[in-house]
Amino acid sequence: MTNPSTDSEPSWFERPQNIKKLTGALVVSCVVLVIADGFYENPHPHFDLETSFGFQAWFGFIAFVVIVFLGRLLRLIVSKPEDYYERRR
Amino acid sequence: MNVVANLPPGWIMIAGALVLLLAVPRTMHSLGVLVVSAISLVSFLYRFSFSEDVTFGNIELFGAQLQMVRVDKFSRVFALVFHIAAIVAAIYALHLRDTKQSIAAMVYAGAAIGAACAGDLVTLFVYWELTAISSVILVWATNTETAYRSGMRYLIIQVASGVLLLSGAIFQFVQTGSLAFESFVVDGQSLSPAGILVLLAFGIKCAFPLLHNWLQDSYPNATPTGTVFLSAFTTKLAVYSLIRGFAGYEPLIWIGCAMTLFPIVFAVIENDLRRVLAYSLNNQLGFMVVGIGIGSELALNGTVAHAFCHIIYKSLLFMSMGAVMLRVGTTKATELGGLHKSMPWTTAYCMIGAGAISGFPLLSGFISKSMIISAAGEAHLFWVWIVLLIASAGVMEHSGIKIPFFAFFAHDSGKRVDEAPLNMLVAMAIAAAFCIGLGVAYPLLYRILPFDVDYHPYTVTHVVTQLQLLMFAGLAFVFLMKSGLYPDEKRATVLDTDWVYRRALPKFVRGLRVTVDTVGGSMRGDTNVVLQSFYQNAKSTFDENGILGRTWSSGTMAFWTTVLLATCLGIYYF
Repeated sequence: MTNPSTDSEPSWFERPQNIKKLTGALVVSCVVLVIADGFYENPHPHFDLETSFGFQAWFGFIAFVVIVFLGRLLRLIVSKPEDYYERRR
Repeated sequence: MNVVANLPPGWIMIAGALVLLLAVPRTMHSLGVLVVSAISLVSFLYRFSFSEDVTFGNIELFGAQLQMVRVDKFSRVFALVFHIAAIVAAIYALHLRDTKQSIAAMVYAGAAIGAACAGDLVTLFVYWELTAISSVILVWATNTETAYRSGMRYLIIQVASGVLLLSGAIFQFVQTGSLAFESFVVDGQSLSPAGILVLLAFGIKCAFPLLHNWLQDSYPNATPTGTVFLSAFTTKLAVYSLIRGFAGYEPLIWIGCAMTLFPIVFAVIENDLRRVLAYSLNNQLGFMVVGIGIGSELALNGTVAHAFCHIIYKSLLFMSMGAVMLRVGTTKATELGGLHKSMPWTTAYCMIGAGAISGFPLLSGFISKSMIISAAGEAHLFWVWIVLLIASAGVMEHSGIKIPFFAFFAHDSGKRVDEAPLNMLVAMAIAAAFCIGLGVAYPLLYRILPFDVDYHPYTVTHVVTQLQLLMFAGLAFVFLMKSGLYPDEKRATVLDTDWVYRRALPKFVRGLRVTVDTVGGSMRGDTNVVLQSFYQNAKSTFDENGILGRTWSSGTMAFWTTVLLATCLGIYYF
């Protein structure tokens, strides 16, 4: 059991400067990964698209955003109150 | 001892469950599960080496040839990973003092192993139903009304799957005279009726789209330990069976694509994190079904490898959420957050599982999922390849980020709990070690795959492109969070196909009953009026004052008789 007196203090992951550091690291690694695309050649591509510059980078970004927005749309249709099935009738 | 050595795979666990139940004190039951599972694994490894196929237990039943045991390159891998899953889950459940769950879990694991080594359709059917009946106890053991009802729905659907399988087996026997469990796919021909029935049976257990919802319905309702067992066996047994019966059956590619896509959208808005994991399980099964549909050696190798890795990382994820469930009492994202402070180990293991399922390099998903994606590339299936990439970004969303982030980080819920019990941590540590081990020492896994492997996961291209996909998906998450576009966690019930039988059908039936009652009521009223008036008429005619009922005088009678005789005479003469 952790000590309750230290519990309320923000942990390493909750301090704003550390969140900034983590975000910064993510952005830097993304940039490095795209730059890396210029330094190797795909020896065995199956499709043309695969060899275009930074393909999986922009594809991953867009796919993620689209999925989340589809989720928001879906919520309009299928989201019901929590007691939907168990409501007393 | 000779008898024990010659038991079919899985029977050691099923028989062991009986022994535990009858001869071992209650407090030792959960330890017993671990011991028996370990014995079963040792005996399996000792008897079924990885070099040759073994079949035995050929018996004749009502003129049909059954083959109770067939251990070959496919069944061996699945039986092995089922054993590993059973042992890890048994360690995870060591703290339990619940005989019902211990025994049920062991019979369930034994039945799954037995089914993976069954050589004919009837033996498969017996194990198939045994997995259904034993596993439902893990849902019911939660002891709530909700769990009871959900378990009932689960049982009905699972048993229905078994009935379809048996019908398929009978069709097959009538048609071909054989019950052997072989491929139903013949090049250039459509499936036989037997094939269709069996495919449907497998499809239910494998949670094909529209047949999938029993999974999201029941797994989150099972006990924290029960879900770990559930996640390992039923659906992967179906994957194994599909490999056996339907490898290379093309429609499976598209079914699999649908399976990888739709659950990720549901997972985005689902609040219960164990239900998110159930959707994610569905999505991972989709990858395997695509692999089975492609059917090339690389694709089937990929499917088997992915099933192997998946069983372990999915167990790990369910274990971490089970620990949260045990300590906090809920896995709803709205009520969690900030748990990394009080459950640091669970957090770390969960993140390893999340990394493995997303396919980060050096973790197990990376070396197995990519085989299936490459197989799609080699078969020049461009759209399938695109779908699998989208699905990979989706996995990153729901399992890679959502599960660990909302449970352990996000906004601090203020909940301060104990770290998970030691045995749970040990089980998670073992599973996490497997996730890393399989990702690093992948040749060990590749060596036991059904076909020779000529695949190298750690090429520069693969590592860089995969990292691009994952990191940019992560970047998209940060972007959506910062801009406030990411949907808030909301307490809600997300409707799925279960709405049809939980809401629409009962409503329809209720409506039908009211209609029948109304129509029946009015018809009954009308009939009554008609009968009443008929009765009144008859009564007024026949009672003592009625024309036919009253006593007539002799004179009148004599008169009418005379008239009658005269009439007869008249008719006679003319």
